[in-house]
Amino acid sequence: MAGAALVEIRDLAVAFDGTPALRGVSLSIGKGESLGLVGESGCGKSVTWLAALGLLPRKARVTGSVQLAGQEILHAPPATLDRVRGGRVAMIFQDPASSLNPVHRIGRQITEALQLHRGLSGAAAREEARRLLEQVGMPDALRRLDAYPHELSGGQNQRVMIAIALAGQPELLVADEPTTALDVTIQAQILTLLAEIRRDTGMALVLISHDLGVIAETCERVCVMYAGRIVEETRTERLFAAPSHPYAQGLMAALPPIHGPRRPLAAIPGSVPEPWAMPPGCAFAPRCPRHVAACDAAPPPLVAVTPGHCAACIRPGAASARAPLSPELLPA
Amino acid sequence: MTPLLEARDLVRRYSMRRGMLGRPVEVRAVDGVTLRLEAGKTLGLVGESGCGKSTTGRMVLGLEAPDEGDVQFEGAPMPPPGSLPWRRQRARMQMVYQDPLGALDRRLTIGAQVAEPLQIHGLPADDARVHALLRQVGLRPDQAERYPHELSGGQRQRSVLARALATDPVLLVCDEPISALDVSIQAQVMNLLVDLQQQRGIALLFISHDLRAVRQMSHRVAVMYLGRIVEEGEPDAVLHEPAHPYAQALVSAIPDPSRRGNRIVLQGDPPNPAARPSGCAFHPRCPLAVPLCAQQAPALKPRPGDGRMVACHVAQGDVAPMRKAA
Repeated sequence: MAGAALVEIRDLAVAFDGTPALRGVSLSIGKGESLGLVGESGCGKSVTWLAALGLLPRKARVTGSVQLAGQEILHAPPATLDRVRGGRVAMIFQDPASSLNPVHRIGRQITEALQLHRGLSGAAAREEARRLLEQVGMPDALRRLDAYPHELSGGQNQRVMIAIALAGQPELLVADEPTTALDVTIQAQILTLLAEIRRDTGMALVLISHDLGVIAETCERVCVMYAGRIVEETRTERLFAAPSHPYAQGLMAALPPIHGPRRPLAAIPGSVPEPWAMPPGCAFAPRCPRHVAACDAAPPPLVAVTPGHCAACIRPGAASARAPLSPELLPA
Repeated sequence: MTPLLEARDLVRRYSMRRGMLGRPVEVRAVDGVTLRLEAGKTLGLVGESGCGKSTTGRMVLGLEAPDEGDVQFEGAPMPPPGSLPWRRQRARMQMVYQDPLGALDRRLTIGAQVAEPLQIHGLPADDARVHALLRQVGLRPDQAERYPHELSGGQRQRSVLARALATDPVLLVCDEPISALDVSIQAQVMNLLVDLQQQRGIALLFISHDLRAVRQMSHRVAVMYLGRIVEEGEPDAVLHEPAHPYAQALVSAIPDPSRRGNRIVLQGDPPNPAARPSGCAFHPRCPLAVPLCAQQAPALKPRPGDGRMVACHVAQGDVAPMRKAA
């Protein structure tokens, strides 16, 4: 990602009715890169992208900067955003059935995107829609153009969503929990499809997920988020080999192992603080096994632990004594 | 030794009509499920949506009557639904659902909801008893005064557990008890379930689509596909060396940080129970299917050699596999 970042987010913060939801997030994505955002519900991983693309309701107060290839898009005029959204940056969501219009045929919904972003219409648009459906692995694509969303399964609807996202030939696809509503065998199909598309088109991918395993298999780099901030950022292998932030360590220890002896899971005690009752210092401090008095002074900044590996912790480093990592997550 | 629970050849059919003038179509949600559960042990039931795992759980509890087959609880057949013995038995078996907010009454305090089963079954429902139950699931007694919306997701699921434990059940059917929770909270609830099982000797039927969670919780695992059990065995045996091609695909679909790529990706969607394929229901998606699979449904029986329970012509060695071109 050296030099030419495709998207550069700086100090992005979001507040709803004065309650902070996102508390200063900075990240960048290079051309063709795959970045994973992982965290629990309410940590701000989806809000980051909804805010960046201007998709939040008016009452949300958004500050900071979001640059797409050097051009500021945060608070940009609607005309600029219309070209960015669905064109240069596309987004897909968790529940495909509620993202599609139930009363329009699939074909019409794809050609609508083609007309808006590529100026195609008529037979050319229909032909391109068929090609897109084939690209996303839809069997019998020509006939499916005339199907309604309710006639398709959840996995097929998610393929349609991906086809619509690809219609604008985006440079970046933001996939927000794209497989959470799907069965595991269908999840495997969609993840494989996303990897293939990225290989074929050179598109960058941001994958938002609560599932570390999904991120591990799909992304090169990963940001772990907690309570509206990035707490750790590094290459994916590195996160699994040597997580530094106690929250990232805790997340991994809480995952039941597939191999090795079965023993009680090292659960993270307590729960995520409410946004209106954030601790003054590190938001993870009340649940942290390495907590010391200094943690409550101020939120720790995201600093490099080793080159290319950042953590927001004043005592970063090896796994704590309380939360042993399962052997499968350690390097062989 | 008599198992705590034994279900034999359970079948549940629903009838579904397509359109106003359509012929009713028979949907076999559960199609011949046999399972047994020992006291104090956990049976994990895995499968994808629509495979009949929740319906099986409901039939085991007597919440739904099977169309065929029977359920024996402690060696005796299930009393007819609605009868007095049935009500008495219901106190000894409880259910925990996926969505704790949906399972709790929003207008009642947690304490009142935990006390309710005690009142229904004519047990002493004083504050001391309610507070003891809350403490047992890791809640504070003062949280009895709270309403469900004032608690976090994990605390709500703990309240649901406290309510389920109120009548001192010997069997708990947990239908996706952790799916709606965050990862760090899932671990807390799984640990709690294991602790409760060890302290009170409760048997668990743990229904989940999450193979990691099932391995963590279970003494035995049964994999379901379209209303039938296709493989059953010890969790480590099934997860490390699955015998049925569907179980193999499920295991390979577990996202695993230590592996990249090379997973078995099944073609097609989970089938519609209303249009069940002939023979082995898995054959249209199976990478190993042979012509016999489309004609004859394989029975769940011990595999020659290691005795693994598996319902597959190929895994049983009856026929040689045929590899379809990828």
